[in-house]
Amino acid sequence: MQDQVVGSSPVKVDAKDKATGATKYPGDLRVPGMLYGKLLYSPSAHAKIIGIGLADAWQVPGVRAVLTANDVPGHNGHGVIIPHQPVMARDLVRSVNDVLVAVAAETMAAAEEALRKVKIELVELPAVFDATAAMAEGAPLVHPEGNILSHHKIRRGDMAEGWARAAAVVENTYRTQMVDHAFLQTEAALAEIDDGGILVLHVATQYPHWDRKELSRALGMPEDMIRVVGGSVGGAFGGREDMSLQVQAALLAMHTGRPVKIVCTREESFHAHSKRHAMVMHYRTGATGEGRLTAVEATIIGDTGAYASWGTNVLRKAAVHATGPYIVPNVKVDAYAVYTNNPFAGAMRGFGAAQPAVAYEGQMDEVARVLGLHPFAVRWQNAMTEGCITATGQVLESGVGLRATMEKAGSLVGWDVSKING
Amino acid sequence: MVRRRGIGMASVFYGTGYGNGFPDISSAIVELHPSGKATVRTGAVDCGQGSSTVFAIIAAEVLGLQVSDITVTTGDTDNTPDTGTTAATRQTYNTGNAVRLAALDALSPLLDMVKPRLAVNTVDGLVVRGGAIEVRGLPGRKVTLAEAVALAKAEGLTTMGKATFTAHTTALDPENGQGAPYWPYAFATHMAEVEVDTLTGMVEVLRVVAAHDVGRAINRAGVEGQVEGGVAQGLGFALLEEVQLNCGRIQNPNLAGYLVPTAMDMAVVESIIVEHPEPSGPFGAKGIGEPAILPVAPAILNAIFDAVGVRITDLPATPEKVLQAIKLQEDRGIVK
Repeated sequence: MQDQVVGSSPVKVDAKDKATGATKYPGDLRVPGMLYGKLLYSPSAHAKIIGIGLADAWQVPGVRAVLTANDVPGHNGHGVIIPHQPVMARDLVRSVNDVLVAVAAETMAAAEEALRKVKIELVELPAVFDATAAMAEGAPLVHPEGNILSHHKIRRGDMAEGWARAAAVVENTYRTQMVDHAFLQTEAALAEIDDGGILVLHVATQYPHWDRKELSRALGMPEDMIRVVGGSVGGAFGGREDMSLQVQAALLAMHTGRPVKIVCTREESFHAHSKRHAMVMHYRTGATGEGRLTAVEATIIGDTGAYASWGTNVLRKAAVHATGPYIVPNVKVDAYAVYTNNPFAGAMRGFGAAQPAVAYEGQMDEVARVLGLHPFAVRWQNAMTEGCITATGQVLESGVGLRATMEKAGSLVGWDVSKING
Repeated sequence: MVRRRGIGMASVFYGTGYGNGFPDISSAIVELHPSGKATVRTGAVDCGQGSSTVFAIIAAEVLGLQVSDITVTTGDTDNTPDTGTTAATRQTYNTGNAVRLAALDALSPLLDMVKPRLAVNTVDGLVVRGGAIEVRGLPGRKVTLAEAVALAKAEGLTTMGKATFTAHTTALDPENGQGAPYWPYAFATHMAEVEVDTLTGMVEVLRVVAAHDVGRAINRAGVEGQVEGGVAQGLGFALLEEVQLNCGRIQNPNLAGYLVPTAMDMAVVESIIVEHPEPSGPFGAKGIGEPAILPVAPAILNAIFDAVGVRITDLPATPEKVLQAIKLQEDRGIVK
């Protein structure tokens, strides 16, 4: 009988081409007659657009297209939850992610020169850069419907009873920062129209079928006229779930009738994709003298920036994971996704569950310190096990290997796990 | 120079999949060729995390082939079915299930076809291994997969299987947040060992012991790779990385100003794979992508506390913040 393949460690199917450099990423593609595209991002985080002067840009030799919001034939917006992030901003910019102009030219130098010749006239608007401040009455509005994108609540048990049973209560506020995915390969796309009139877009993306939907909506074209080819992707981590330059590349190809490639510089890449939500997390955790958790109350505020992206879902995930892998009978969680004029936040590895771990694991150590218990012992006795009930009331019927991970990791740093647990 | 060592622990759980009742659907196609080899087609995207290799392993296991016998075609709206986003730690579990089912779907008509030829009364008496369909208990009586595919094609049978898998999830109640939002959950515990320089506030992460319950490792080296990458990214989150803003404008949009960990910053990683099988996963597997990063930062922060007795609650824990916290503590007359 052959050895089992599952559980082995074969050479990755893409290893050879990656190691030898044979792998072609979208940025490596070159086709005859190809133009170079480039995008102009807003210099301001919140401003009214008074005018965009394109005449001088058109005068640059080699320029083949200079496009603005007026050139978007379909819905001028994209977004995984709310399609309100403009392909190109028309009247208003809400963040430095906003694209104002897209150009295509015979050379990269000509495209860069054309962007320098675009005359932008903006009038700055009152802006808000702090999520907590953005929740207050009278804060500048990022969107007319209000700055709170979502509020998720988790209510379980009886908080008064939880605090009454607690021998110790620890209370702290934790703050995590805005983080970039910093994947190796910056955004790149090559758009072309094939002989059958089909728009073909080569792009490093996490979801080609979704990109096709977004392209269809913004271009006003049926999905069957669009083909998205994922190609090779040099890291993603959630930063390739929203549109970055897909629609603009397609528009430039459609307007010029020529293939157009856009490759972001690192600086442009920082402006082209989402960020990890900065969060402020206020926690109160109660435990009995033996270290049994009796209550957790958490208020989590996530700065989702100027556009929704996955903000609602990220903060929902933060709420669901707010108590950590522990059995807590009494829980009150409020998690808010809040608009600001900061760069937009969305999916990043952990998706809202990375930030609360900083808070709930800080709290577990603090509970241990206050009660004079070992951090391992506090975690062990509260650990989720098969059949336990989560803060959302879900019974975990199978697949709960938490204590095995604790035992193995603890032993390897020399902790006498059985002795600690008494 | 006074360097103090500390050890910190952090445990996490992570609900994989889209969650909250969102349609969490993956489709896959597996085609068998007269060469006896196979092609897997899915919309999933291998961003370096190794999903294509996972699908090759799963197809190879079901079809009794080697990984090198499988070609994986991915991420093309004209040529691959929709598998949802390559995100949410969902491809090994979701698309892995779809690939397993599609491979069985491709195999099924072949088994029916060779049943009389191999003189068995039920397909349960057949086993697929080593590139052949053979009679259970009579390993000499067999038909190679290549022969079976050729025969099937001659009879006009399709040798292409397809399948769809949908993950279980329910929406949360909007008032009390009750529901079964995710399935399955992944679990992990990390132990970080750090050394804190009390004169500079610099934190060096010496070692991270990372234990992950993955249900079942489909690709052991792949799991270890994900864990090592997660530790690197988590270390950056804990100590280095921050997008600095001024009036909403990014002040450090470059890798000179935005610091990601380099090999010089990286800790020794000891990866421990815990296999507590998840019945609904392909061969018992759950995903590893996101869980790998989650315990890193809290374990490092708890290790800093263990080393010098200060709790950093504001990330990243830069040398300035650590030093300031140590000074504040000394001013209060508390010296560890």
